[in-house]
Amino acid sequence: MRRNRKKRTDGFIFPAPLAVAIAALSAFGVSFGCLRARTDALGREIKQLEARRNTAREMALKEENRWAQARSPAGIEEALNRHGLTMTWPAAEQVVRLADDSGRETPARPRYAASRLSRSERMRVE
Amino acid sequence: MTRATHGAARILFVAGLVLLAISGLTYRLTSLHLEGSLDRARAERRRLYRGVLPASRGRVFDSSAETNTLAMNIRVADLCADPAVLVASNLVEETADRFARELHLDAAALRQRLGRPDRRFEYVARRLPKETAESVLALRLPGVFKQDAWVRSYPMGSMMAHVLGFVNDEEMGAAGIEQRCDAYLRGRPGLLESRLDGQRREMVVRRVRQIPAEEGADVYLTLDQHVQYILEKALDQALEQHRARAAWGIVQRVATGEILAMASRPAYDPNDFRRSEDAQRLNRAIGQVYEPGSTFKVAVIAAALNEGLVRPETEFDCENGRWLHENRILRDYHPYARLNVADIIKKSSNIGAAKIALMLGDQRLDAYLRAFGVGRRLGIDLPGEEAGILHPVAQWSRITSSRVAIGQGVCVTALQMLGVMCAIANGGTLMRPYVVRQIVGPDGAVLHRQEPQPLGRPIRPETADLMRELLARVTEEGGTGRRAALRGYRVAGKTGTAQKVQAGGYSESDYIASFVGFLPVEAPQIGMIIVVDEPQPLHTGGVVAAPVFGMVAEQLTRYLDIPPAAYAVAAR
Repeated sequence: MRRNRKKRTDGFIFPAPLAVAIAALSAFGVSFGCLRARTDALGREIKQLEARRNTAREMALKEENRWAQARSPAGIEEALNRHGLTMTWPAAEQVVRLADDSGRETPARPRYAASRLSRSERMRVE
Repeated sequence: MTRATHGAARILFVAGLVLLAISGLTYRLTSLHLEGSLDRARAERRRLYRGVLPASRGRVFDSSAETNTLAMNIRVADLCADPAVLVASNLVEETADRFARELHLDAAALRQRLGRPDRRFEYVARRLPKETAESVLALRLPGVFKQDAWVRSYPMGSMMAHVLGFVNDEEMGAAGIEQRCDAYLRGRPGLLESRLDGQRREMVVRRVRQIPAEEGADVYLTLDQHVQYILEKALDQALEQHRARAAWGIVQRVATGEILAMASRPAYDPNDFRRSEDAQRLNRAIGQVYEPGSTFKVAVIAAALNEGLVRPETEFDCENGRWLHENRILRDYHPYARLNVADIIKKSSNIGAAKIALMLGDQRLDAYLRAFGVGRRLGIDLPGEEAGILHPVAQWSRITSSRVAIGQGVCVTALQMLGVMCAIANGGTLMRPYVVRQIVGPDGAVLHRQEPQPLGRPIRPETADLMRELLARVTEEGGTGRRAALRGYRVAGKTGTAQKVQAGGYSESDYIASFVGFLPVEAPQIGMIIVVDEPQPLHTGGVVAAPVFGMVAEQLTRYLDIPPAAYAVAAR
């Protein structure tokens, strides 16, 4: 009687539980790798954003410094001189004051008083 | 051997090899773990990063509506080099020449500093704009690198320098507001603990600890940069016109004690404080005492009026300008036969003031002067305030009161003298002067707010009202301070011309000229003092200081929108 060569019962059979365990470990490893790569990418992004924030802050401070210099009385005077302009304070008799019916001056908020308002109040006034 | 047993043997053989390899690896790992624990700890330490997160120092603002920035931190770069690398590369001369050309430095000095092979670090240039440093780095010179740093910037330059102060190389406030408010301004540094990768870059995902830095609080001053500019410009002009040694002045709000401007000449640039001298850094307005001369008569006469010893019309014999008292001669600048109290102030008679002081007596005079704040610090929120000199009454001689009455033998600061005048303008109440309005934290919370604080009431309101009227006559025709008069306004004030003290007596050539006053008389808003040290050749307060007062006051009435007297009367 001839033997069926395709039906081999004496060969090595890979254990099913081991195969499941290896598959699970592989899936875990791949997930870990993906998550690790993702967190690394996020870390790099955080670092870049921190650097951008610092650069933006430095630029803002630098511009604030330049703006303060330009707005200083000396800076304004220099700019006026550059354009051939001369400005003086008005004399007392050159100031026209408006009074309401009661004879009181129309409330013109003094400049120094505005600074005492909170920022929101100041915005409302303006 | 069957085919099946042959296959099983091969599997066993491979499994044995794998087992052997795993055993070897396990052994190696165990040995590394046990034997290399010291190396591992060292490696761990090297991979661990622990750094301080610097806190940005708070800003300083003025009180104007635009809240102008007066002090702030900006980012700069220090350009550095490794001389050992430069020497090894034989590039010292080339590098030094390039730096000298690019940064306008002394090439020879640079060659010497960079040509030292024993050194590994040398600053090439400090506090450069970052762009400049980066343009130099783009040259890719070996051994050249930059370090980022913060630097304190004062955009207004020398303006308000004495009030703002400066921050020293250790980033600590070393003068002015920077010193006084250092605890608020400096903030609190943070901490970052993390791990580094193989290229020594920080691994954000492996951060162990991160405590963010607390930014410094912002300080808002009572000073206004426009008022300050007006005052400083006038002082500069006076300094040049009268070839004076120094000049200083203060503008104060009468009702509250807020300082609107405080200037001292000569000045310095806090951006470059290292090049300034002590004399330039001295805030004379609060830190220099001087004999006030005739301005001091104001306190003495106010005291006598308050005590009811004299009235404005009470007459005194002014001895035709020369009075022998206790074997010492006292002179008037202009001789007068008889003057009443009102004219003693207006004409600034020394003899008249001395006789009033004698009527008052030592004890009462001393008590009034101390009540006016003479001989003690007023407590302004700036470092370096002097107390002045008023000797205890037990040490007074028989002529002391007559000399104190004319501002001799007593020393004050300009702030104290202005305090006396502002107390009179303020209905007799002496206010504590202050320059910090409020301090605001980075989250917007107000950490400190200064409210006006009365220090005492040396004279009654009725006496103060009377004194206001008497002092207004000083700037009228015939008064010593008419150059301080302002069209449309009534100005009250007093001139002072004091001989400077020198070894063995008083100088015949060096004077301190001053004018202290307030306006408008009807409803005083601002008080101001101007002091000019050693003006030449004119030296009287009426000629030197009063015009400066007038010049500043004229602009301030416009800027602060102070209505003229005529309008004030009409509005009633």
